[in-house]
Amino acid sequence: MRKIILRGTASGFLLAGTVTVGLVANTAWAQSQNDSSVGFEWKDGTEVYAKVCGHCHETKVGPVIRGRHLPAAYVRTIVRDGLRAMPSFRSSEIDDTSLEKVAEYISKN
Amino acid sequence: MAGKYIALPKGVSEQIFDTAIKEFRGILGEAFVLTSPQQLAPYIKTMMPVPDSEHAPSAALIATTVEQIQKIVGICNQYKVPIWTISTGKNLGYGGAAPAERGQVVLDLKRMNRILEVDKDLAYALVEPGVTYQQLYDYIAERKLGLWLSFPAPSAIAGPVGNTLDRGVGYTPYGEHFMYACGMEVVLANGDVLRTGMGSMPNSNTWQVFKWGYGPYLDGIFTQSNYGIVTKFGFWLMPAPPVFKPFVIQYQNEEDIVEIVETIRPLRINGIIPNAVVIAHALYEAPTKARRGDYVTGPGAIPDEAIRKITKDHNLGIWNVYAALYGTQEQVDVNWKIVTQAFGKSDKAKILTEKEAGSDPAFEYRAKLMRGDLTLKEFSLYNWRGGGGSMWFAPVSQARGTETLKQMSVTKQILGKYGLDYSGEFIVGMRDMHHVVDVLYDKTNPEQVKAAYQCFDELLTTFSALGYGTYRVNTAFMDKVADTYGPIQRKVNKILKDALDPNGILAPGKSGIR
Repeated sequence: MRKIILRGTASGFLLAGTVTVGLVANTAWAQSQNDSSVGFEWKDGTEVYAKVCGHCHETKVGPVIRGRHLPAAYVRTIVRDGLRAMPSFRSSEIDDTSLEKVAEYISKN
Repeated sequence: MAGKYIALPKGVSEQIFDTAIKEFRGILGEAFVLTSPQQLAPYIKTMMPVPDSEHAPSAALIATTVEQIQKIVGICNQYKVPIWTISTGKNLGYGGAAPAERGQVVLDLKRMNRILEVDKDLAYALVEPGVTYQQLYDYIAERKLGLWLSFPAPSAIAGPVGNTLDRGVGYTPYGEHFMYACGMEVVLANGDVLRTGMGSMPNSNTWQVFKWGYGPYLDGIFTQSNYGIVTKFGFWLMPAPPVFKPFVIQYQNEEDIVEIVETIRPLRINGIIPNAVVIAHALYEAPTKARRGDYVTGPGAIPDEAIRKITKDHNLGIWNVYAALYGTQEQVDVNWKIVTQAFGKSDKAKILTEKEAGSDPAFEYRAKLMRGDLTLKEFSLYNWRGGGGSMWFAPVSQARGTETLKQMSVTKQILGKYGLDYSGEFIVGMRDMHHVVDVLYDKTNPEQVKAAYQCFDELLTTFSALGYGTYRVNTAFMDKVADTYGPIQRKVNKILKDALDPNGILAPGKSGIR
């Protein structure tokens, strides 16, 4: 019987637990898992910016947002609510802590 | 907000809902059951021309395990609480993360995001619903697995599970995504966990390599439907070819689409061009390098003279045919000769390769999509009218020139009647075409909102009367589209729904099924 350790993606959303997955015992895919038993977690604000925001805001799709000293609180609000064509991003996509970090990154870079 | 919730599920009292929420919290913990307006704000924004309040959820549940989902459906059955399941929630232009009906509880699986397996030799992946294309792309790149993804234009922020289950398409040779799906795990409304195909067999190692299993092929009923919650999903990946040769062929008149399609069809059916060729109208590509306001002001659709000027100013065709060749150098050389001979018969076709067009923003993003590189450049479309209004109108057409011209003309005429522009493309399948039109409007302008709604409604009515069905639609128009496919299909869908989900707790309204 395989045990998968689950960890939350970030603080504010921390979930730690052990789940027993009886159905998958001895199946090939269960055996072949390597380091994939942990879900995805954002490393820092730079990564969130590069892999979400930057796809539009560094390619002339969305407005330039770096270097404008945008208040972090403003950035957080726009990310959560969206604005016109900009989609909203849920806490399940960018957790509260990572949002703090990316908002700070945008404000200071 | 009359009570403590911003909305309530249909037919569920606040008192009953309180109990259900308490039990959800018992399973997921306080932090993963969202009910406040602030927490739910990201689930409410849509690009559709209806008040966002019509699609406001009552709560959102963030689950990460199959066991949690099994318990959640148990509670939903007990209290008759409907849930609307999302994966990455980026089905933009089709409804986003918002539920089909006001008050439904969103079951958000974005954090269920493990990449369970990527097999380099057999070129397949098994993932959970919250995995994004960006996550999988990085996983493959870090391990140098030499496999390519196929994804739709929102690429990085969307994911393979949601896109394929909604039968979305991409731009590589694996662009018809559901065709490359292989094996699902599904939590049913009664809590049972079904593995489709070979996955049901203990000790089988063929779940991700053989699609059909034994007996009826069930995977199809879990796409564009509400018969279960897919929690694991297998699909095939394309081995990176040694040579990739993207190209664009420009034509300067709308009527030329007849010749374009007649030329492409045999190349596609015979596999000379292996990927989903795109025939993009000038206005689909223009937003990557032009601003509408520089060519037209005031209300109304953009006139043809202005479109012609845009094509001249920005090196675009009225039609821009994007395709690519894949394989060894020898294979690509042979097929390139066939392609250039086929298109070279006409003096209307202007063939450009990376050498001539590589730095062009439109060519650049199209080439990226055709080789499975992440780009959100197509979102430039949203700047065309501004204001965040967008609906994808997506009728299916035969891959026959006269049909595509007819569809284009009718679409353009109806859009024009409501003052909206034709931003369309045809994505060439094996024998069909997905005619994909972004109905763009300013959602901050009440008149345009009204016009966009009426326009979309008329497009659906007119096209269905002509015998053209849409393959996918946003959540505001699902019932209307379901009706266009006739009463027997709706009846059979209902029989399946009643059998698999007698309390109607799973995404009521999806594809018009309740």
